[in-house]
Amino acid sequence: MKYQLRHTTHYEYSSAVTLSHNEARILPRDLPWQDCSNTQLVISPTPDRLRERTDFFGNRVVYFSIESLHESLDVTVRSDIVTRPRLAADFFSNIGWEAAVGELQLDPRRTNRDCLEARLYVLSSPFIYQQSWLADYARDCFSPGRNLVDAVLQLNSKIFNEFVYDPEFTTVATPLADVLKSKRGVCQDFAHLAIGCLRSLGLAARYISGYMETSPPPGEVKLLGADATHAWASVFIPGWGWLEIDPTNGCMPDERYIVLGWGRDFADVTPLKGVMTGGGEHVLSVAVDVIPLREEASLL
Amino acid sequence: MQQAGNAVSPLQTLLGDYAGHSGHDELLDAEQQPRAHWQGLLDDIVSLGPDTLVSRSEEVQNLLHENGVTFNPYEDDPGQLRTWQLDCVPWVISTEEWEELEAGLRQRSRLLEHLLDDIYGERRVILDGLLPPELIFTHPGFLFSAADDPSQVDRPLLIFHGTDVIRDERGGWQVLSDSTQSPAGVGYALENRITLARALPSIYRDAPIKRLAGFLQAQHRCLASLAKTNREQPNIVLLSPGPGSPGYFEHAWLANYMNFSLVEGDDLVVRDGQVSMRTLGGLTQVDVILRQINDPWCDPLELRQDSLLGVPGLLQAARSGTVHIANAVGAGILEHPGLSAFLPDLCRSLLGEELLLPCRETLWCGSPDSLAQVEDELDDWVLRDISRPGKVYRADQMGLGALRDLRSSLHQHPYLFTAQRQVTSATTPGFNPQTRRLERQNITLRFFSLVEPDDLLKPVSERNYRVMPGGLAWLGEAGAPLMKSRLVKDVWVLAPVPQPHISLLRQAQGPIVVTRDGKDLPCRVAESLFWLGRYGERLDTRGRLLRESLARLLQDDRQESGFTLLPDLLTALEIPLELDEQEEGESSPVPGRVSREYIMTRDRLLQMFSDDLPDGLPALFGHFVRNSRAVRDHLGDDTWRAINSLRQQFNNMSRTRGVVVGQRHLEGMVLDLAAFFGLCNETMPHHYGWRFLDIGRFIERTLSSLQLLKLALVTAEEPGIPLWEVVLATTDNLTVYRRRYRSQLHPLAILDLLLFDETNPRSIGYMLKRLDRQIAKLPSPGSSPYRNTEQRLVIQATSTLHLVDIATLADLEASATAREALTELLDQLIEPMSELSNAISHSHFSHVEAPRQLVSMQHSGQP
Repeated sequence: MKYQLRHTTHYEYSSAVTLSHNEARILPRDLPWQDCSNTQLVISPTPDRLRERTDFFGNRVVYFSIESLHESLDVTVRSDIVTRPRLAADFFSNIGWEAAVGELQLDPRRTNRDCLEARLYVLSSPFIYQQSWLADYARDCFSPGRNLVDAVLQLNSKIFNEFVYDPEFTTVATPLADVLKSKRGVCQDFAHLAIGCLRSLGLAARYISGYMETSPPPGEVKLLGADATHAWASVFIPGWGWLEIDPTNGCMPDERYIVLGWGRDFADVTPLKGVMTGGGEHVLSVAVDVIPLREEASLL
Repeated sequence: MQQAGNAVSPLQTLLGDYAGHSGHDELLDAEQQPRAHWQGLLDDIVSLGPDTLVSRSEEVQNLLHENGVTFNPYEDDPGQLRTWQLDCVPWVISTEEWEELEAGLRQRSRLLEHLLDDIYGERRVILDGLLPPELIFTHPGFLFSAADDPSQVDRPLLIFHGTDVIRDERGGWQVLSDSTQSPAGVGYALENRITLARALPSIYRDAPIKRLAGFLQAQHRCLASLAKTNREQPNIVLLSPGPGSPGYFEHAWLANYMNFSLVEGDDLVVRDGQVSMRTLGGLTQVDVILRQINDPWCDPLELRQDSLLGVPGLLQAARSGTVHIANAVGAGILEHPGLSAFLPDLCRSLLGEELLLPCRETLWCGSPDSLAQVEDELDDWVLRDISRPGKVYRADQMGLGALRDLRSSLHQHPYLFTAQRQVTSATTPGFNPQTRRLERQNITLRFFSLVEPDDLLKPVSERNYRVMPGGLAWLGEAGAPLMKSRLVKDVWVLAPVPQPHISLLRQAQGPIVVTRDGKDLPCRVAESLFWLGRYGERLDTRGRLLRESLARLLQDDRQESGFTLLPDLLTALEIPLELDEQEEGESSPVPGRVSREYIMTRDRLLQMFSDDLPDGLPALFGHFVRNSRAVRDHLGDDTWRAINSLRQQFNNMSRTRGVVVGQRHLEGMVLDLAAFFGLCNETMPHHYGWRFLDIGRFIERTLSSLQLLKLALVTAEEPGIPLWEVVLATTDNLTVYRRRYRSQLHPLAILDLLLFDETNPRSIGYMLKRLDRQIAKLPSPGSSPYRNTEQRLVIQATSTLHLVDIATLADLEASATAREALTELLDQLIEPMSELSNAISHSHFSHVEAPRQLVSMQHSGQP
C-alpha cells in the first residue's frame, strides 16, 4: 500500500517560552516491509539547532532547540510510505510457550544473539512492571504446553473483547492496575497491558508506536486530520522473530499499519518531549492524516 | 629490642596490649615485631611521646574544625554539620607492596574503561554472552540515551576512578567497590595531608613519602586537554548539586584548588548547542564539566525529568562534542556490584590479561547456580538490591518477616540481587588520645586513578592510568560508607628515598585565569554574596540592639520607674508585644523580689535566641550560613574560621536562659561578625563579588538605621534621652557623640551624627556615598549612556538628604511640625532604599525559572 502521512503537533502556550530543548521521535523508520521517502520535518518557529541521530532501539530521533521567544510550537512530519505484507503472513512456528520462556533464560554463553537481544524486553521498564496479577490475567490463554503463537493471539483477542476503548478514561500515566480493574483505556494502555502480561509470564514483548489507516463510516467522506497515532505490541518468537499484535483491534497488523519506532514502553518512543523555560499553561492539538494513494495517483 | 631488667620501654607503653592478634596486622609481623617499613615512623612517634601526641591530636582536630572540613548528610541545619576525626598516625605501605597494588589498580581502571566503551558502543560483552543482558539492563546506571551514536566516542569515558580496597585478614588485597561517576575523597585526602603536615611538621617534613601534588597537577592537565576547542584557556567548571549535598565541602575545596568555577545546574544553560555559564557579564562558554552529580540527574530532557540539578540539553551538547563531561554520563553502570563476579573473565577477554587484584567474593543472583548457592547459605552473604542503592541486607540480622520478604523478592527478581561475601579486614594502628596508646583499627581504603593526560587522544586499547600515591582511609568494617565513618586517616606510600617537598598549597596550575572574580562571576554567586552581606548586617544590627536591650533590662530592674523603654525596644526588635496566655503561664515562679514584669520582658527578649522564631538570631544565622556555603570558594580560610567560630556560638545559643549568658553570646557574635566583614574587606579581591557583598551589607544598614531613627525620634512611646542612648550605643557611636558634642543628648546632634555626617561610617550620608560608589562600578549589561535604576535610586536618596532644610527639624521634642518634617524625610529615604534591593536583583541576578516539561510522565513506580 502507498500512503501519504501527515502528522502535526501544535502547542499553544499561555505565556512566552524563552528557551526550549526538545526531542522528537516522529520520523518513520525504514523496515523490510516499509519504505519511507520524501520525509519532511517542518518546525515552526524555525529551530536554532536541529540534529538527527539514531537511538538505542534504532529509532530516528530529532533534537531541536528554539532559543528565542515563542508562544506556540508547531511540528509537522510529511512522508510518503510504501508498506508491504508482513512476513507473518506465511508464518509458522510450533514452539510451546514454556519452551520459549526457557529459550530466554539460557546461560548467555550457550544461546544466540537474537535471544540475547530480546531478553531486554522481558524485563520491567519505566511504565511496565512484571506482576503476578498480570500473568494471572493471561493464564487462561497460556495453558500448559500451548503453542506460543496460538496463546499470544488468544491474549490479543481477549484484551480486545474484554476492554472498552475509552479515550476519556486514561492519561499517559494511568497505572496498569487501574486499566485492568476498569476494563477501559486507549491503544497505549492495551499495548502496555499485553506487554505486561507477556513479560510477567517470562516472554519478551516490545511497544510499537505508529499509525493505522482508518476508513470513514460507509457512505461518508474521510475527514482531514481524523486519523490518530496508534500503538501496538510485538512478541519475540524464538527461532523466528518478532510477531506484531494489535490488542486494541484484536488483529495482527498488516499493510495498513505504519511503524514509527519501538522501545520497551511508551517512555522510549514519546513522540515529542521538551523542557522549556517559561510558557505557563499549554494547549495541545494533534492532527494525523494517513491518506491512501492510488497507484495511478502516485505515478502522476 | 632487648630491654634491661623489667623497665618498660616507651614503645611498649605506647603499644600496650596491641600485640597478640592472630590476623594480618599492618604494624606487627607474625612474630609480633614491627615491620621494617614502619620503623622510621614508629621511632618518630615514640620520640614525640604520648603527651605531645595528645596535644598534636587536639591541634589536628582544631585545624580541621577551623578549616570547616565537614561533610553534611543532607541536612541544612547549620549546627549539625559533622566533622570527622583525623588520626595522627597514618596508614603506611612499603614501596614494594605499593608497586604491586598500583599495578592492580591501573589494570582495573583500564579494564573498566574498556568495558564502559563496549557497553555504550558495540555491546559485544552482551552479544557474545560474557555479561548477561539482565545484569546491565536492570541497573539504573545504564542510560539508554547514552548508548546511541557509539561512533562519536573519541575521548576517554572514565577519566577518574576511585577504588575501595581492603587488606584482608590473611594479608591479601580485595577490591570492594568502584566509584566511577564522580569519585569523592581526593580533596579530603589532600586536606588531611596538609593538616597533618602542619600539626606534625617534624614527622612529615623528612618522611620518605610520595607526594600528592603531582597527581592533582596531572588531573588539571587532563581536564584542560579534554577541551575540544583550541582555546588557550579552556573554561573548566565543577558542577555541584549545591551546598545541601554531602560532598559540598570537597566540591568547593577542589574548585578552589584547581581554579575551576564552582557552579550549580542553574548556572549553566545550553544555547546554540553549547554549554554556557550565566555570569555578570553575560554567557560564557564552558568547555569541560567536572561533574559531581550522579548520572540520572544530569539532564531533565533525556534522563530523569524531575531533575532540578541538571542542565536541559546537556547530553546533546556532549554528544555533539562542544563540551566534555568528566566522567562521561553513563559511567555509573560500572558501579554495579554484580560486575565483580564477571571481571576475571572480562579481563581475559577484553585485555587478554589475568585480573591482578581480586574482588571480594561476589555472586550475581541472576545466574541460577549462584542463586541456589545464595539461597542455601543466606547467612554467609551480604545482599544488595540494585534497585535500592545503598541498602544492604544481612540475613543474620533480619527478623523473620523481613527475611521472608527478602527470599520472595530474591526468587521473583533474582537478577536485581548481588551477594557479597562478608570479609574482615586486617588491622592497622591508630592513636587513641584517651588511652594514649596505639590501638588496632579496621579500615577501608580508597585509591584514585586518572587517565594519563598524554593518552587522552589514543584509542582505548592504548590508554593508561596513573594512581595517586596516597589516598583516604577510614575506620569501619569492610565496605562501611566513608560518609558514615567518624575517623579518617592519611595514607602514606613510602618512597625509596626522601621526596622533595612540594607545597600543596595554591600552586599555579597551568595558565592562571586573571578574571576569576571579574565579569565571569556566576550570577548566582553574586546573588549569594549580596544576601550574605544583608543577612550578616541584619544579624549584627539585631545582635547589637538585643545586647543594649538586655543591658537596659538589668539596669531598669534596679530602678523605681520600671521598664519604660523596653516596649520601644521590643518594637525595634520586631518581637510581638502580646504574649499569649499559655506562654505567660509557663513562666516559672521566681524567688525573691524579681518582678513578674521583669520575667516576662526577659523571656520575650530571650525569644530572639530561640530556633523557632522566624526572625530570631538562629534563623538569620541559618540564612547567613547557607549563603556563605554557596560561595565557599570565594571566601578565604581566615574568613571561614570566623564563620566557624560563629557557628560554635550558635550551637549553644538556643539554650540561653539567662540574661548575662545572652549578653556574652552577643558580645562574641558581634566581634566574630566584625572579624568576618573585616576579613572580607581585607582578603577578597575588590572585584564584583566583594562589591555585591558590600552593597548588600550597606543597603541593610541604611534601612535598619533609618528605621531605628524613626522609632527613636518620632514613633517611640517613651522618647527621650535613655532611648537615644540606646540608639547611639547600638550604632556604637556613644563615645563619638560624647567626644564631639560634649553635651547632653540632643536630637539635632544625633541627626547630624547619624544622618548627615558623611565621615561617620554609621551615618546615612556615608552609606549612600559608599553605595553610590559601589553601584557605579558594577558591570552594566547594556552600554546605555544613561544612569540605570540603581544609580537613580541612590541619587534620589542622596538629593533628598542634601536638600534638607535643617531649620525645619529644629525643636523635635516640642514641635509636631518638626516631627512631621522628619517623618517625611525618613520616609523619603526609606522608600528608594527599599526599592534598591529589588533593582539590583533585577539587573544583575539571573532569574532562572525552573524548567518545565512539555509532556509530564510520571513513571508508575514499583508497587
